[in-house]
Amino acid sequence: MTRPDRAPRLVVAAFLLSALGAAGFAASYVLGLGNAALGGCLGGSFAFLALGLARWSSLIDAGEPDYVEERAVGPTPQGQYDAFRRALTEQPVPRSRVLWGALGTAVAAIGGATILPLRSLMPAMGTDPDDVLEHTPWRAGTRLVTEEGEPIRPDDLAMGGTVTAFPEGLDPREHVDTTTMLVRVPPNDLRLPAGRADWVVDGVVAYSKLCTHAGCPVGLYTDTSHQLMCPCHHSVFDVTDGARPIEGPAPHPLPQLPLDTDASGYLVARGDFSGPVGPGWGNH
Amino acid sequence: MTERPHSSSLRPRLLAAAAVLLAAAVLALTAAHGSGAGSAVPRAASGDPSPSSGRQVFLRDCAWCHGTNGTGTHDGPSLTDVGAEAADFYLSTGRMPLDSPDQDVRSGPPAYDDATISALVAYVGSLGNGPGVPALASGDAVAGRKLFLENCAACHSASGTGTIVSGGQPAPELWHTAKRQVAEAVRVGPGPMPPFSDKQLDQKQVDDIVAYVHQLGSPQDRGGAGLDQYGPIIEGLVALFVLLPCLVVIIRLLGRRAPERSEQEER
Amino acid sequence: MVSLLPRPRPMRKLDERLGFASTGRSVLAKVFPDHWTFMMGEIALYSFLFLVVSGIYLALFFEPSSAMVIYHGHYRPMEGQAVSAAYASTVHLSWDVRGGLLVRQAHHWAAHLFIASIVVHLCRIFLTGSFRRPRELNWTIGITMLILGIFNAYAGYSLPDDLLSGTGLRIFNAIALSIPVVGSWLAFLVFDGEFPGQEIIQRLYLLHVLLVPAILAVLISAHLAILIRQKHTHFPGPGRRNSNVVGSRVWPGYALRSLSLLAAVFAAVLLAGGLLQINPVWAWGDNDPATITAPSVADWYILWIEGALRLFPPVEFHVFGFLVPNQFWCGVVLPLLIFGGLYLWPWLDRRWTGDRETHHLTGSPRESPLRVALASATLVFLAVLLVAGSEELIVQWTGWTVAAIRDVLRVLVFVLPLGAGLLGWWLAESLRRSDLDHTLELGGKDLRAGLRRRAKGRA
Repeated sequence: MTRPDRAPRLVVAAFLLSALGAAGFAASYVLGLGNAALGGCLGGSFAFLALGLARWSSLIDAGEPDYVEERAVGPTPQGQYDAFRRALTEQPVPRSRVLWGALGTAVAAIGGATILPLRSLMPAMGTDPDDVLEHTPWRAGTRLVTEEGEPIRPDDLAMGGTVTAFPEGLDPREHVDTTTMLVRVPPNDLRLPAGRADWVVDGVVAYSKLCTHAGCPVGLYTDTSHQLMCPCHHSVFDVTDGARPIEGPAPHPLPQLPLDTDASGYLVARGDFSGPVGPGWGNH
Repeated sequence: MTERPHSSSLRPRLLAAAAVLLAAAVLALTAAHGSGAGSAVPRAASGDPSPSSGRQVFLRDCAWCHGTNGTGTHDGPSLTDVGAEAADFYLSTGRMPLDSPDQDVRSGPPAYDDATISALVAYVGSLGNGPGVPALASGDAVAGRKLFLENCAACHSASGTGTIVSGGQPAPELWHTAKRQVAEAVRVGPGPMPPFSDKQLDQKQVDDIVAYVHQLGSPQDRGGAGLDQYGPIIEGLVALFVLLPCLVVIIRLLGRRAPERSEQEER
Repeated sequence: MVSLLPRPRPMRKLDERLGFASTGRSVLAKVFPDHWTFMMGEIALYSFLFLVVSGIYLALFFEPSSAMVIYHGHYRPMEGQAVSAAYASTVHLSWDVRGGLLVRQAHHWAAHLFIASIVVHLCRIFLTGSFRRPRELNWTIGITMLILGIFNAYAGYSLPDDLLSGTGLRIFNAIALSIPVVGSWLAFLVFDGEFPGQEIIQRLYLLHVLLVPAILAVLISAHLAILIRQKHTHFPGPGRRNSNVVGSRVWPGYALRSLSLLAAVFAAVLLAGGLLQINPVWAWGDNDPATITAPSVADWYILWIEGALRLFPPVEFHVFGFLVPNQFWCGVVLPLLIFGGLYLWPWLDRRWTGDRETHHLTGSPRESPLRVALASATLVFLAVLLVAGSEELIVQWTGWTVAAIRDVLRVLVFVLPLGAGLLGWWLAESLRRSDLDHTLELGGKDLRAGLRRRAKGRA
């Protein structure tokens, strides 16, 4: 390999341009120019660096032959391997199952015992997840309020209007399972399952807003067809028909919240949802 | 930096939007030009924006479906109490008139010039006790942002880029919607959109939403070409079909080719 | 006089203390079998390097907490609003920290590139049979890094606590819940109770910035150490045998070329970060579990699972009184099948071919029509799932209904992979029979020969 006398011009130029780009980046930063100037300069700087290095390497490569190297890797000769085995297994104590068993027991016990504190990652003892998932804090007489905490009258909703509601006095960000979608539809259009006739007030129906598929908020309401759609996996629920799933992967209807009005005419719940809200789980 | 033009966006919709704007501009220009001869106030002179001239256009174009007195037929709903608000929204967004009652209601270039729209709106407003065209006040975009996310983002997307609701109906992009039309749509609930009563969102809150919607789109593009603010789908397309191929081309140029060929070159 | 030119003296002094010269000599002379497709893994390596460097900078500004704070800054629509500290600090980083947005966007683009290049690298290894003995161990390390990379990218996507990522976590929670018997306990363990809990951001943050990158760094070291010990495979050619390596030396040619690639990777992600906006969380809004934005989807490396969730029929049933929820099949079983299949492939391949030999010469893809068929079928399958994950874009382009597109994709998700697999098999078989160099050179005669061969083999 011969060393060329002169520096290759293109490589030098690329490196200088790279330095210029870096200077541009510094200037953009100091002057507070925008994201494009910063990214363009620094990215350009690296691009010229790449170009220079690539050209340099190709110049070297042109004068290089193919090198050949033998592969040394492979099984160790038998004798050496046996020596290794002997070194590993020659013990100053007798080969005893009891001994190894006791050591194994100790290690397993330490491992098993130290896993237990992981339980602290969960809520306090005595809370069974299945119980928590099964119910929501909705109770008979709990007022429905908007996210701003305002109580809701049935005629606050225009015909065809929707609003997201929560139980009064609870933080909606903490008690997500209470999230309820109120929709007002013409009462004559409703074809609810038997026994739910008095769950509706002036055409206002309430369903859990959590999709029964993967739990996303079912927020896309189509007034013309009275359908709620989930934007995650495109399940569609028929609001007039007990939120029965009519399209997509959701396997069962959105649970319904029975509604009533209190003495002041505000909407209240008659009790909890008609079933567990959100996605299904094993011990359902 | 934040004033990046829209030309970098990927979807053809923007072209359509540009075409719509262009068509609207041409329409407005020809209307002003054609009627403005010899008049000091061309806009007012382009027609008589009174309910009576509106009634003539109504009888010609709208009565087919909505009835001669706007009481509705089996082809179209009654307009007696929808008010000037709804009429202005449907006409100024080009959703009305339809060529036939079974047509989809889609936005487009308005079919009439401003004066004719005003006349029709005045006529429909005179039919009953519906709400008038909203008077816009300047709203607070900060309050509007929260209200928009709670009430509008589900269908129009948090970025206002628009998406679909059930049945494949579009919830349109809001980046180029006029302020008045945004305010009207909230109340009217056109087509699949649910309406919002003034008890749910008072006029101040609607003004706030309008203020926030007005600065959606390019003002939010701080990080470069906005990719339509459509989210991971288009970002993924860019990653897989632009970024990765660029690097594959680079290693193709950097690395050597198949051994047979390089071997032949050396000999 | 002081010279700026490198002098051998400091190096000599270091060598006096460490005695590295002879090792260094052999390292510099190490032979790299040179083929451009061998550099795909290097793209991943340098993306990882960029991710670490940029991630450290981001960590200096990001605050992993769900606690509510008041945002003050240049993003006017959020001025004075109460949002989570995680979200506020991400918007702050994007609008108020000079250069912060560039680093954030370049970090995100680099994550895309990291996973994409691993996938391409994996396809190369799979098709050329480079996972065969003695490289099974490195294959499994590679698959592990792919899974960890996807997990960490997903964790990073979830950290800013915006409306999109909040929804992503919600789906993750639903998938965890769906695991039989332990599901509800597992979900409660991860989220500290019922969704959303207060802890998930801190926990994901710890995994994202410390645990997973550390494991990745260890695995990358092991991957490279094994590679250096076993040496690269090389393509067959004159003078190339199973017992040698033919290529160029590390120093200076290959090292310069590799450094050039490093600079190119940095250039690509920085240019993308400067010119192409990615994940504008301020436009998505802050996470509020009661609200949602649309389209609500994940990045492409998770999107295939979302696509599968969308296509799966609405079935659920009980086994021994336990509910098997709908989302279990696509959220748990499908990834297990795909990654499990990848893990086991070297041994499944050995069972299929009966080949237990040591291989240092890579095969050509055509040598195993089965591998070509499987790779084409799997990639097409995943591509259809990605299309399903992008349904809303298709609706907007075509005006078809979601239901119609879903029905078509439910058919295509089986038909297209089958077709692609058969086509891949046919072309590979035809090429193998023909000894032509390229697929495009195949004539009708060769293709017919490929068909005959298969028919005979079956009979």
